[in-house]
Amino acid sequence: MNLFAATTAGNAVSQLATGVILGALAFYWLLPRPKGRSVAFGTFAAIASAVVLVSWVVRQFGDPARDTVGQVLFWLFSGGAVLFAAIFVSQRNPARGAIAFAFVIVSVCGLFLLLAAPFLMAATIVIYAGAIIVTFLFVLMLSHTGEMADENDRSREPLLGSLAGFAFLGLVLLAMYQSSPTAVAEAGRPEQKLPARPVTAEERAELLSLATDLQLAAAAKTKDELHERTKDLRDRFADIVGIPPSAPESGERTNAAHSIPDRLAIARDPQAIAIARQAEDLRSAVRQTLNQVENTTLKANPTAADMAAAVKGLANLREKAVLLAGRGELPARNVANIGYSLYTDYLLAVEMAGSILLVATIGAVAIAGRKGAAA
Amino acid sequence: MISVWHYLAVAAVLFSLGLVGFLTRRNLITMFLSAELMLQAVVINLLAFARFHATMSGQVFALFVVTVAACEAGVAMAMFIALYRRNRSLDATVWQQLRETGVPATTDPEKLPTVPGELADDPKLTPAGKKPQEVARV
Repeated sequence: MNLFAATTAGNAVSQLATGVILGALAFYWLLPRPKGRSVAFGTFAAIASAVVLVSWVVRQFGDPARDTVGQVLFWLFSGGAVLFAAIFVSQRNPARGAIAFAFVIVSVCGLFLLLAAPFLMAATIVIYAGAIIVTFLFVLMLSHTGEMADENDRSREPLLGSLAGFAFLGLVLLAMYQSSPTAVAEAGRPEQKLPARPVTAEERAELLSLATDLQLAAAAKTKDELHERTKDLRDRFADIVGIPPSAPESGERTNAAHSIPDRLAIARDPQAIAIARQAEDLRSAVRQTLNQVENTTLKANPTAADMAAAVKGLANLREKAVLLAGRGELPARNVANIGYSLYTDYLLAVEMAGSILLVATIGAVAIAGRKGAAA
Repeated sequence: MISVWHYLAVAAVLFSLGLVGFLTRRNLITMFLSAELMLQAVVINLLAFARFHATMSGQVFALFVVTVAACEAGVAMAMFIALYRRNRSLDATVWQQLRETGVPATTDPEKLPTVPGELADDPKLTPAGKKPQEVARV
């Protein structure tokens, strides 16, 4: 039984039961009495119960603070990376600098995790932990002087160097600002296509709420209920996937330029094309289904078969909307997919990377391996 | 909502800090670590684009960047040993006879203050406890 993943009703109940029993045990152990009290067991059980219950609540009712947690982690990691990078650059002692660099690497690895790259996070920690220890040994071996030394206590052109670095930073940030959505919106130019997600978070949320409404509509019993629940669906879908080709109000809408198929029109990568196709599919499904529903509701006395067909169409439409909402995420099996990608699309590059590693090993041995050549 | 722009901004800051370090520091090892810092910033960019385009290619590129960084580390460390053997110093300015012709040589007009004997700011363990007393030998 997985305590943290309640996927079915039975699992949910057993997880809840586990949490409750752990809580009861905790207070059984914690409550004061002359014999049989155990603070250690009680604390442990209380923490375990809290974890199980919180995860259950989050699973069942949704996460109240998901975005907040993500934002706090992002600011923590990025702030840590920048802070320790500044310490590293300005530290005179190279050994302390190496330690600060290790903290930079750890913070950057946190950012990797936030960017859904767990394999790279682990690989970077392993590689750089080794690299930093080697660097540390080198510093202790070669540069451990007591006095002030030229290499540690002097900088080459401090003013010009910092100016160059921060001028570069300013230029990069300015270039980013000029193509960012806010600046583009202010200037009234058409939206940039490159850094937009295929299906943005807002679109996903809207698609999911549409799916809920479709489910409601599909549960309609009478013609009037059906009409009431489907009347604004066409407009809301048009905001996301564009105007259905034969929609009656097509002349009025002007903001359809931001719909998914239009945004992905110039994209060349197969995934974007697949998403665009799916959105196109959804668009035609919206037109067909809503036309059918309208025909049904316009009839004076729709038959039971008509109503059943309309409801079935709505259910199909809901499935398509849910499917499209699920696009635009990285696959969950990170390691498997990196491996697949490496050995299918990038096999030549893998071989070349192997050759580079070999050549680098030979080069390192050839450069450093001369004994007694200190002249 | 954290967007791709936030990650690009963090990566830009890290890259320029690495750039400042590489341009101004004179210790070969610190310069090398600054170059690594710039590589990490580029990797953040690659991963951010991979995340927000939902493709694996960015992560694969990042893997190759890490590979090349490992090669670079191996060769760089070997070079540090070779250079140190010649001049007993990790100062990059010692090798300025390799500069372009016509560029004036770097000189250090102000002398470094000499700190007698003491290690400047290396971490030290504070002595704890008492010295053991000598036991009278019988």
